[in-house]
Amino acid sequence: MAETLVKTEDPTIKPMTINFGPQHPAAHGVLRMVMEMDGEVIDRVDPHIGLLHRGTEKLIEHKSYMQAVPYFDRLDYVAPMSQEHAFCLATEKLLGVEVPERGQYIRVLFAEISRILNHLLNVPAYAMDVGAMTPMLWAFEEREKLMEIYEAVCGARMHAAYFRVGGVHQDMPAGMAEKIIEWADEFPKFLADMETLLNDNRIFKQRSVDIGIISPDDAMAWGCTGPTLRGSGIAWDLRKSQPYDVYDNIDFDIPVGKNGDCYSRYLVRVAEIRESVKIIRQCIADMPEGPVMTTDGKVGPPKRGEMKQSMEALIHHFKLYTEGFHVPASETYTAVEAPKGEFGVYLVSDGSAKPYRCKIRAPGYAHLQSMDHFCKGHMLADSVAILGGFDVVFGEIDR
Amino acid sequence: MGVISNPSQNKPNPTLKAVNDELTDKGFVVANFDKLVNWARTGSMWPMTFGLACCAVEMIHAYMPRYDLDRFGVVVRASPRQSDVMIVAGTLTNKMAPALRKVYDQMAEPRWVISMGSCANGGGYYHYSYAVVRGCDRVVPVDVYVPGCPPTAEALIYGVLQLQKKIRRTGSIKR
Amino acid sequence: MSEINQALEELGAYIEVKLSDDIESYEMKNGELILHVSLNSIQKVSQFLRDDARCLFKQCMDVCGVDYPEREKRFEVVYNLLSMKHNQRIRMKVSTDEDTPVPSVCGIWPTANWFEREAWDMYGVFFSDHPDLRRILTDYGFDGHPLRKDFPLTGNVEVRYDEEEGRIVYEPVHLTQEFRKFEFSSPWEGMTPILPGDEKATVEEGEGK
Repeated sequence: MAETLVKTEDPTIKPMTINFGPQHPAAHGVLRMVMEMDGEVIDRVDPHIGLLHRGTEKLIEHKSYMQAVPYFDRLDYVAPMSQEHAFCLATEKLLGVEVPERGQYIRVLFAEISRILNHLLNVPAYAMDVGAMTPMLWAFEEREKLMEIYEAVCGARMHAAYFRVGGVHQDMPAGMAEKIIEWADEFPKFLADMETLLNDNRIFKQRSVDIGIISPDDAMAWGCTGPTLRGSGIAWDLRKSQPYDVYDNIDFDIPVGKNGDCYSRYLVRVAEIRESVKIIRQCIADMPEGPVMTTDGKVGPPKRGEMKQSMEALIHHFKLYTEGFHVPASETYTAVEAPKGEFGVYLVSDGSAKPYRCKIRAPGYAHLQSMDHFCKGHMLADSVAILGGFDVVFGEIDR
Repeated sequence: MGVISNPSQNKPNPTLKAVNDELTDKGFVVANFDKLVNWARTGSMWPMTFGLACCAVEMIHAYMPRYDLDRFGVVVRASPRQSDVMIVAGTLTNKMAPALRKVYDQMAEPRWVISMGSCANGGGYYHYSYAVVRGCDRVVPVDVYVPGCPPTAEALIYGVLQLQKKIRRTGSIKR
Repeated sequence: MSEINQALEELGAYIEVKLSDDIESYEMKNGELILHVSLNSIQKVSQFLRDDARCLFKQCMDVCGVDYPEREKRFEVVYNLLSMKHNQRIRMKVSTDEDTPVPSVCGIWPTANWFEREAWDMYGVFFSDHPDLRRILTDYGFDGHPLRKDFPLTGNVEVRYDEEEGRIVYEPVHLTQEFRKFEFSSPWEGMTPILPGDEKATVEEGEGK
């Protein structure tokens, strides 16, 4: 035994390689990371993605525009409606269709509900990654309430397919607005409770303050968007700078972090939840009466009652649900401020009823590729905190 | 919400009473060994957290307070070595298939698989994709299929109950 | 809206004057500015767009490929850039074919790294000077480039677990039901001489006689 302990000929130390995932509870899905470690310190991270690559972009090329909408729910499945929003806006831009004002308000309302849904999963999941269990249990009850709202308007708890090209599929049921307001009255109490658990929690702070600091320049260079960018102190939000739908009529603030560490990103997210509640209240207060779907019969489907009376409506219905609408040949890159950052759709149409090319720009994709840069020199356990702070969901990264 | 009181709680359960009487009378109880084993098994089915895609969110919802799968003895484990049930929640892709099979192989017998959602059942919305396995039963043997896209948390709980029923009905100790 | 368009028009004209040798043309589409850049100047143009005081496109939001099989240079690589300073977006395009490499812009925007890897994976567009051009999304050992228009939707291989060999095996695709396409020419848009389904009639006649 003693001989083996004598030093070998080659004194160079080989870095230890650790395989993280693809089945790991802190990987937030199916991420595989090959890490080269120098003891407990990370030397290099090589994320292997694509374990959830489902060929969404190829499938969209083979489906009509309306059939393509549900694929967007399944990209970032934590906040389904935000993705639909981007695709619908892109298609409307190519078609030149105006969405009625009520439709726009409902969209903004539900985009913000989706944002809360997303942050309510990410914040406690991040807390769980660094060792706190309770916020998860509480937040999921709030998520359930929001999912009830989802279910009430479109019939599905998660994959709504509620935003359609030209508006939203149907108006909210009677009494829904009051229900949402009721929820918005109670919700801040939960948020305050959650903050008492986390904000000054010693363990939580030890695990997140000064971990994964992203400088503003780095954040720009690595294409960070959303809370990750704002956590680094850059006040950039597409809802303000390039407003879509009715965001320019709405009064809200953009929370900005100071240090760019995981803790600032957490604080930004919690502050964003508060702002979203504010937006939700305004949407419900300002929402006008009227149609929710464009009245252009070539894009928006006719009402059931109308179809029984009018031949034209019947033809439109038949054409829309068999062939779909044709989109004139053009192209656009349209982005929305999804909960995770800039979610863009680069849509190329060729005049047929199917998209020619639909590139999906997922915020998490850019964030995840910077893992190597930001993890270098951190401890192994911090990589989990950094990953949780980036808010990655593999549906959108792998597509 | 309040606690829903179960009317049967007030009067003694006849089975329990019989067992109790026998115990006080003789000091031991006679039972079928296989039934006892399966009763124990159905009461502690520990699933593996195998969240692949969208269905994983509904799966987490099923574990969380509102649906609370814990009350059926379903407690999530992060290691395949400790788990009895694998819930395949989400789209299984070609790239993921070897990893899924490896995890399944690492689970100890007896083991069961619940396939959750249409992607895991047969490819679903992604059936014609070049990267997706058309049904996770091509890779692992499946006991219960839960339909839906994604199935609601209630549907998953129903699937778990169906699996319990299946284990009890099959009645064998060795699988 | 027109103010934004005008600002972009002016920017396009400015860039064309500055880089007349490197820009093939510029155009406005849907209120978005598109630059057609010649292949070898992409790095120079990118550097200019990032650093020039009137551009400052410091964020590269997206790089992707598009396939036009009927063109001589079948691939287009599209760069979507964002300038937070001026709150503007711009799009650059270069055309290439299967063999000609595109100079990588990783040195200018580090975030282009994975986007270029994805374009390579999906279309087989080769990027020269790329630090780490590996496949990214598709399966380990995947053959072909799936987003090319001539790549079949369902791919060429499928996997299953083989009990005898005790491992995952790859086999040629076998579908019980084909993907259903309803791409019939619509009678409203002018009849074509051959209607879908006509070919069956002639085959049957031939067999009958």
